[in-house]
Amino acid sequence: MTVPLDQPAPQTREPHQWLGAFFIVPSLIMIGVFFIVPLLMTVWMSLHDWPLLGRSSFIGLGNFVEIMGDSQLWNSVGFTMLYTVLVTLALFAVAFPLALLVDRPLRAAGFFRTKYFMPVVIGFGAASTLWLWLLNPDSGVFAQLLRSLHLVSAAPRPIESFWPALGVIILMVVWKSAGFTMVILLTGLQSVPGEIIEAAKIDGANAWSRFRNITLPLMRNSVLLALVLNVTSSMLAFDQFFVITQGGPQNSTITAVFQIYLASFSSYRLGYGSALSLVLLVVLVAISSIQLAFLRTRPEES
Amino acid sequence: MVNRDREGTMMKNWMLLTTAIATAGLMSMPAQAEDLNLWVRTSSAGVLEKLADLYNASHDDKVVITGITAEQMVPKLGASIAAGAAPDGAVLDLIYLPTFAATDSLEDLTDFIDGLPYAAALSPSHIRLATFDGKKYGVPALPDASIIAYNKDLFAKAGLDPEKAPTSLAEIAEDAKKITALGNDTYGLFFVASSGSWLVYDFTPHIWAAGADILSEDGRTATIDTPAMRATLAAYNDMWKAGAIHPTSRSGVGNDAVAAFASGKVGVLMTGSYIVNLMTSQYPDVNFGVAAIPGPDGGASSFAGGDTLSLMKGISPEKKAVAESFIDFYMQPEQQVLITKESGMPPRTDLAKEAYGAFDPRNLVAYDILAKAKTPYTYASDELFVARTGPWVNLLQSAIFDGNIDEAIAKAQADFTRILNRTNPK
Repeated sequence: MTVPLDQPAPQTREPHQWLGAFFIVPSLIMIGVFFIVPLLMTVWMSLHDWPLLGRSSFIGLGNFVEIMGDSQLWNSVGFTMLYTVLVTLALFAVAFPLALLVDRPLRAAGFFRTKYFMPVVIGFGAASTLWLWLLNPDSGVFAQLLRSLHLVSAAPRPIESFWPALGVIILMVVWKSAGFTMVILLTGLQSVPGEIIEAAKIDGANAWSRFRNITLPLMRNSVLLALVLNVTSSMLAFDQFFVITQGGPQNSTITAVFQIYLASFSSYRLGYGSALSLVLLVVLVAISSIQLAFLRTRPEES
Repeated sequence: MVNRDREGTMMKNWMLLTTAIATAGLMSMPAQAEDLNLWVRTSSAGVLEKLADLYNASHDDKVVITGITAEQMVPKLGASIAAGAAPDGAVLDLIYLPTFAATDSLEDLTDFIDGLPYAAALSPSHIRLATFDGKKYGVPALPDASIIAYNKDLFAKAGLDPEKAPTSLAEIAEDAKKITALGNDTYGLFFVASSGSWLVYDFTPHIWAAGADILSEDGRTATIDTPAMRATLAAYNDMWKAGAIHPTSRSGVGNDAVAAFASGKVGVLMTGSYIVNLMTSQYPDVNFGVAAIPGPDGGASSFAGGDTLSLMKGISPEKKAVAESFIDFYMQPEQQVLITKESGMPPRTDLAKEAYGAFDPRNLVAYDILAKAKTPYTYASDELFVARTGPWVNLLQSAIFDGNIDEAIAKAQADFTRILNRTNPK
């Protein structure tokens, strides 16, 4: 095969701008239809008294005024914060040691990485339903196990009081999501250059001091990323409480998203639910931007 | 929204018209067979599909049944009405009828119902719930009634008369303690205490049996704080403290109840009329009796539950005629027997012999009750009663298991009033 000599020289100039615009149109349409339009509709609905059945009426900022005095909502926001702090601490406490354990050049490490990561691919709703049955006092596995080992005389009933209920939910979430945090931390660990550790070893730094002064600062971005993702998903927690505790006992485990669900699909106040969603959106954007601000400052600058 | 609805209807009419012209022109058939689309909750879909199949086999018109998960029925139907894409009709839990009727979503069926030869024999509570502003918007379809079931063997073992059901809550409490005293993980009472729909079904009859109520007749005012409520809560709390209530009651959502009773270790189960068919078919060895739910010091009542068939507002006269013909079809004795066989109870209260001739006599107990059973007339069923986070569940959980009766009643009265003030139709 011969190449004709009169072929034009390869183009070096920038492609047409409209071509770039053309390529992003599909994703713009998706974002428009599934994010921008619903967001604008939520804003519009939040300015209305919008029942599921019957006519809606414009009430301006009435829903937002009601939110200010809605003590049940602020209780649920407080509970969500408590849950977020506890579950994030628990996740890091489990995921960090796991990441250190599987960060080894052993063949078995791959097996354990997969094993720890496996619950992550289960949906939260399915995992919650699974645990609801595991926790069942009469036919659940946990009760049978504890009783056959003679650790307890009567089946434990954790979801009947607040702290045990919160405890088992956190246990479930750690089982379900620690693998994900582990993987993020693992990428951080592996990005630390071996020669720096080597140099520190030669300088006589012990294991703890190497971890504290070299590994940790160098994997700072991974830690912050894991933190942002964990905090955001914990602030949006819903499935596990909806399925396992159903908000009980005495409405003490209702999260912010659960409250939005109740306003929209138990009280059928779609306008108020929309207003709650917007308030939560603002809170989440604020929390995330604070964290991202930390993320943006490079370790070498601080 | 109203304009859009009208446009939708005009569009639909126009399409119907063109279809009709086309059909008339092409085939010159006398009348077009109609399809009637009914949404039903999945638990009722089996029976209604059988009825629809029988109807479709003998008629040109077709009834099409679509099952919808029970919890999603109200949101889905509400959304479809708002979008102008509602089905022709829905077989709804009767407790939602006032909500849909008050928002002008249902078709007035007053003349049709009053014209039925057996109008007086239709389950009275279903008719009451379907009535709004003097008009009737629904016909009973698949009723059930809450009852108590008691284990006769355990009664005998505890030295009680197995042929005599307890006639007051005080008696239940006394019996429950004796049965618990048998030991070996035996408990006197099981009731489903972590589910709003179960609690309203099984607990309100205690209050009604004493002549009191939790809502006013028109459903607009809460009347939680009554001597009957206090006595009932005190009796339950007393049984809980004595350890006579099965420990799983507290967090039970309904799926453990039948298994617990079938295991033979529960004396009295708060349940519904469906239990008779269920036990006899799946646990034939359990020797049990059933009775109406007693009040704290006597009396008896029941919660009339189940489904009512209603049509969406604006249904075409042709489809409405199909619906009326289908209703009259399933009200005939033959179909009433089928309904009884499938779901335990027929919507007509005048066919005891026909419907129950060949059935377990224990079905008759529930049948007699249906004519006297009640249902709360409310515009906010989900928010007040069904929600696990609602004031009804919290009242009973707090009063029965924590013993804070005064505090719980005061809080429930306040919460009910706040919700009613917002949800009562203007």
